[in-house]
Formats: sequence, C-alpha cells, structure tokens
Amino acid sequence: MQRITRREFVKRTAVTSAAFTSLPAFLAACGESTTTSNKPSKLVIAAVQGNEDGPLKKVAPNYKSQTGIDVEIVEFPYDQLFEKLVTTFQANGSSYDLCMMDDPWMPKFGTMGALQPLDSNFGFTRDSDVPTVVYDVGTWPPPHGPVPPSEQGKTQHLYGITIVGNVEMFMYRSDKSSAPTTWDDVLTNAGKYNAPNFYGYVIRGKATNPVSSDSLPILWSFGGNVFDDNWKVQLDSTDSITAVDFLTRKLKKFAEPGAENIDAADRSRLMAIGQAYQSTVWPGEITGIVEDPSVSQVKGKVAYIPIPQGASGKGLGMMGNWLLGIPKGSKNGSAAADFIKWMLKTANMRNYVAQGGIPIRKSILNDASLASANPYFAALAKSFDAVPNWRPRTDQWNAVETIYGTQMNAAVAGQVTPQAAMTKAAADVRTLMKTAGYPS
Amino acid sequence: MSRLVAELPAPTGIQPVRVGRRRRSRQERLAYKILLPALGTVFIIVTIPFVLAVVQSIQAEDGSLVGFRNYARALTNPLFYDALRATGLYALIVLPAEILLGLSFALLVHRTVRRAGLRATLYVLAVLPLVVPPVAVGVVARLIYAPGYGVLNYLLQGAGIAHSEIEWLGVPILAMGSVASVDIWQWTPFVYLVLFAGLQTVPKESVEAAQVDGATWWTQFIYIELHYLRPLFLLILFFRMADVLRVFDHVFILTGGGPGTTTQLLSLYMYRIEFKFFDAGQAAALAVLVLVSISVIYSLVTRALPLERA
Repeated sequence: MQRITRREFVKRTAVTSAAFTSLPAFLAACGESTTTSNKPSKLVIAAVQGNEDGPLKKVAPNYKSQTGIDVEIVEFPYDQLFEKLVTTFQANGSSYDLCMMDDPWMPKFGTMGALQPLDSNFGFTRDSDVPTVVYDVGTWPPPHGPVPPSEQGKTQHLYGITIVGNVEMFMYRSDKSSAPTTWDDVLTNAGKYNAPNFYGYVIRGKATNPVSSDSLPILWSFGGNVFDDNWKVQLDSTDSITAVDFLTRKLKKFAEPGAENIDAADRSRLMAIGQAYQSTVWPGEITGIVEDPSVSQVKGKVAYIPIPQGASGKGLGMMGNWLLGIPKGSKNGSAAADFIKWMLKTANMRNYVAQGGIPIRKSILNDASLASANPYFAALAKSFDAVPNWRPRTDQWNAVETIYGTQMNAAVAGQVTPQAAMTKAAADVRTLMKTAGYPS
Repeated sequence: MSRLVAELPAPTGIQPVRVGRRRRSRQERLAYKILLPALGTVFIIVTIPFVLAVVQSIQAEDGSLVGFRNYARALTNPLFYDALRATGLYALIVLPAEILLGLSFALLVHRTVRRAGLRATLYVLAVLPLVVPPVAVGVVARLIYAPGYGVLNYLLQGAGIAHSEIEWLGVPILAMGSVASVDIWQWTPFVYLVLFAGLQTVPKESVEAAQVDGATWWTQFIYIELHYLRPLFLLILFFRMADVLRVFDHVFILTGGGPGTTTQLLSLYMYRIEFKFFDAGQAAALAVLVLVSISVIYSLVTRALPLERA
C-alpha cells in the first residue's frame, strides 16, 4: 500500500470535501434549468395544516396524472404559515410557486406587493357561477369599504382565488327547536334549553383570534363595527358595546364554564358530544367534527343557517376564505396559474368536494344531490348571497385583532365590563392606527 | 542531538527564556486554533444577530435611523408593563418552588437512597420531563386543566372535593398558577439533578466528623452541604431566570396569554409585537432591553452568591 505524506492527505481531503460540498449547488443548478423552462416538473404550495388543506392534498395527485406536473404541498400551522410567507416575501424568495392565504392576510400581502396579479398577468376573469364577493376578497386594493391611505389610488388587481369558501355561519340543534331568526331568538333558546351539563350557547372565547372571530358577526349584526368607512374606530360606539354586552353578559349566563379558554375544536366537541345547543360555526368544524359520524353523536340533529339578524336588521357572517395566490418570487407563475384554473373547473371542484373540500361555485353549493352529504351547503350559499363582511382591509389587522381579542377575552372572563373592554380596545387601536398613518 | 543540547538550560539565562517563550507561543497558537471554530460559531450565531438586533432597534421600518424612539415606544407601551408584571409574578412562583422542591428531593435521595440501581432509576425519571418538548407538555397540561374535559376537575369532582367545575384557566390567579405548575413540573427535576450532583461532591469525612460531633440533619445541611451547593444555586438561578424570560409554548397553548393579559409573559408579548404587530423596531428594542436586564440581574445574583465563598 502506497503511503502518503500528511500534506498530501490534507490536500486530498480538501479536494474531496470541496467536491462533496459543491454537489448540492451543482444539483440546485440542474434544478434551476428545469424551473425556468415553460413546464416545470414540480409546483410547490405553502399550505395551512388542517381541514383547510386536506382536500387539496387529496386532489393534487390528479393534477400530476393529467399534466405530469407534481404538486408538492408544504404544510405549516396557521401562525407559522403567515410568518413564513411574510419572511419569504420580504426576501422575494422563490421557494413557493403558490401559497394558501387566509383572507385577512390579503391587505398585508397586497400592501407588500408580494403577489403576482392573476388578471393582468394570467388572464383570470370573473365567472358568474362564483359569488362576486369571492373575487372581491382576493382583490387589492379592496373594491369596497375603506382603503388604507397608502393604497389609495392604486390600480385594483385580482391576487387570490378562493379555494376554501369559508363563511362563518350558525348552528343549532334542529331536533329541539326551529331555526332562530334573530339574536333575541338565540338568547331565548339559550335560556330555554340550558340545563345541567347542556349549555344553551357556546362562546369561543379564547384570547385574540378565536374570540375576535366569534364576536365580530354579533358586533356587525348589532350595528357595531371596528372602523367606519373613514377608518375612524367604532369599537366604543353604543352599538358595539351593546353587542359585546349581549355576548359577554346575556349569552354568557347560558354558556359553558371556562368560555374564555374555549377554541373552535372545544366548541365543536361540545356540540358533537351533545352538550350544547347552539353556536357560531365555520364549515371546517362541520365536516371535521359535528357531522363526522366517527366522533359525533349529533349527526343529523344539527342544522346550519346564516348568522341571525341583530338590532341592525341584518345578520352578517364573516368571511374566512382561504385563497391561492402566486408569490412574486415564483419562477413558475404561468404553471401556477394553470393549477388555480384547474382547481376552479367545475368537474375538478366536484371531485374536490367529494374529498371534503368547501366549494365556491354556486351551482355546486345549490346542487340538491350534494345536500345530504353536505348539510351546510345551502346555508353557505345563502351566506355568500347575503354578502358576508370581511375583516377590515388593513395591513394592521393582526395587531388590531390582537388588541380587540385580548380585551374581548377579558370581558368574556368577567375581568372587565364590556364598556371598559371596548373603551380600552378603542383607545389602543386608535394609537396603533395613528402610528401607522391612518386618520383614526 | 543538537536540538537537545539547545534546549538544555544555559548558564547565561538568555537562551532558556527565548526557547521558553517560543514554546509558549506555539502552545498559545495551538490553543487559539482549537478555539477558533467555537469562537467563530459563537460570533456567527450570537454576536452577529445581537448586533443586527441593536441596529434594528434604532431603525424605522424603512431603514432610516430613529435613535431611541423604538425604545421609548417599547417603554411607554402599557402592555409592556403588564407583561413585565406577569413575568415577575411567574418567576416569583416558579423559582422558589422549583428550588425548594428540587433541593428537598436531592437531599432526600442523597441521604436515604443508597442503592445505585434505584439512584439510576430516579435519575432517568428526573431526566424525562426535561426531554419532553414544551409543546407536548402544553398539550398534556391542557388536557388536565381545560374547561369541560379537564382531568383535574373530573378527579376533584369525583372525589367530592369540588362540587362544580373550577375554571383553572379562566380565573386570573388560577390561570397563573396553572401555567406556573407546568413549569414547576418540567424544571424541578433540573434543579434536583444539579443539586444532587453537588451533594456528591461533599467530602464524606466532613459529614462523618460532623455526625460524630452530634450535628443534626439541619446543621449538617446549613454548615456543610449548603457551602458546596452555593455556586450551584447561582447556576440554577441564572439558567432558570433566563428560561423564565423565554417561556412561551405551554403558556400559548394553555391560555394564549389570557384571561385578558394575565398570563401574557414577556416572550409572548414580544412574539405578538414582532409577528402580530409586525413592529420589528419595537420588538428588537424589547429584545435588547431584555438582554441588558438579564445581564444586570445576573451580575446582581453573582454578587449576592459569589463563587469564591464556596
């Protein structure tokens, strides 16, 4: 065996190490050449982990069999997805060809200029079978309601297409009573059916996002609001305080103990095990828990309706759509747009529904043959027709929601009065918005 | 041979000094070479991010310099003081509880358990909570304290101790106690392990001599063992205080900072400022303030418990 000197050994080791360390770069370079071609071999989607992306994962293989393009879905929990996308967009990264976005994130991404316009770049047009509000929610700057000062005068573009048609609705035990039409009916039924170990109403009261989502439909239906059309804070208006008082005092009398720590899964669990009469509900909870025969004892005993009317004479649900958008950094924009178009096709959306997906096409939502398997479709179609509210279109929404949701949580816990909670929330939101350049 | 001769002590005294100096220098160079990867890593993962945080803390969102404005905003935000108060209360609950419990267990095992096998078993049991991810601990704790299906309420009601559901996570003081209990469960074993190891360093001769002189259980601890444990208390206090400032997972899962801001500890507050408010400047200012504060606290603790006393 030939002996080598120490110097030779070091030299050979260095050469070998260099070869190995450059291998990933070489492979990446090979990958680069495929991604810049017209038809990439793979599309990468950043998606939210849970009910929302489950059906997407199931239909993705069909896309490969039809087009030859693999669809890789990279999942993140809700909060982490948002953070991941923000940091990716800030770096103009090309890691993701498509991203799932909760609709309140649109103002942040729109303001950042983080997405590729689907209309001008890829020829997307509005389809009459899809509710107008679905397109509106993916449009930036927003087509109606207040527009952030920094975004006024910008040309509107479509940046996202809904693939999960979430609208917050209302559920009640239809085996016990008829549907409530107003929040007063809700309160009456809550008192009537409240019993030991059976709660007349379930409040999703956990701090920040959960209690914010649960309470805003009530706030709006009572004529309250977070902002008016000029970004003036309305949380401490009489109507807003009345709505908060209704939820945190009147309905709370009949609510489950520990409501200030209840999140969506806990709420649905109480309904599913037959310990609650009524609550607000998101479609994902219906398919995932309340109507799932493997975990629910009340399948077929719960009905779904749009949000009941409040003192304003309106019942306003809240949108929580999940959209697909194309990051500006994506090198496969055209192929990504083709995937969104593929998802929107009626036949593919029917297949998506068969896998548990929540559709946006009116023809599917109103299809009687799908009603028994999807008992909330009719209510969802009506909710879309009633034009649900979206959360205020400002890139400050996360902060506003945190302030509002913290004070609402304190009010649900009985730590502070509804008036004190809303006065504090309004003051903090005003300070925040003023700092961000809004005329609050 | 000539080299050996050269290294022999020379009567003039000049040659050895030169040779000695050359030898020390070579050793020092080697030491620096060995240390270089570690120091380089520390520089990359600690120093650079800290410098970037300091720079970010004096910048506005557009990158322009704003002096100490972010610090002023951080210090005038009332939520900061809520978080500080919550963190202080949390520390006041968990630190004494963990130290007292950990010390008690360590003394108990040190004095009563003689079998090596049993000691090893206790060691493994003590390590277990430390290796469980905090998120998993939070999820399990939620199963214990959650309203509606929490195991604790079920047991208390079953035993007739409670007649209605106790809102462990809904009443401010109970919520704080609940999140603190999780920390105590997870980190008391750390204190136990450190102090138990410290007790093994106490010379048997000293203990036996004290026992012959009639020292009681208590005097033996106060006058002999405590002196050997003192530097370890400093270590524990420092590590645990640093950890308390980083507590996030189980609080986020159990209460989300609620009710209101009762359990919104400093780390959760900073997370919200950075990732909910997207106020990077204020978050960086908070991070720098926390770092400076912990340095000051560490220095105070070091003065209170000087290592030399041991």
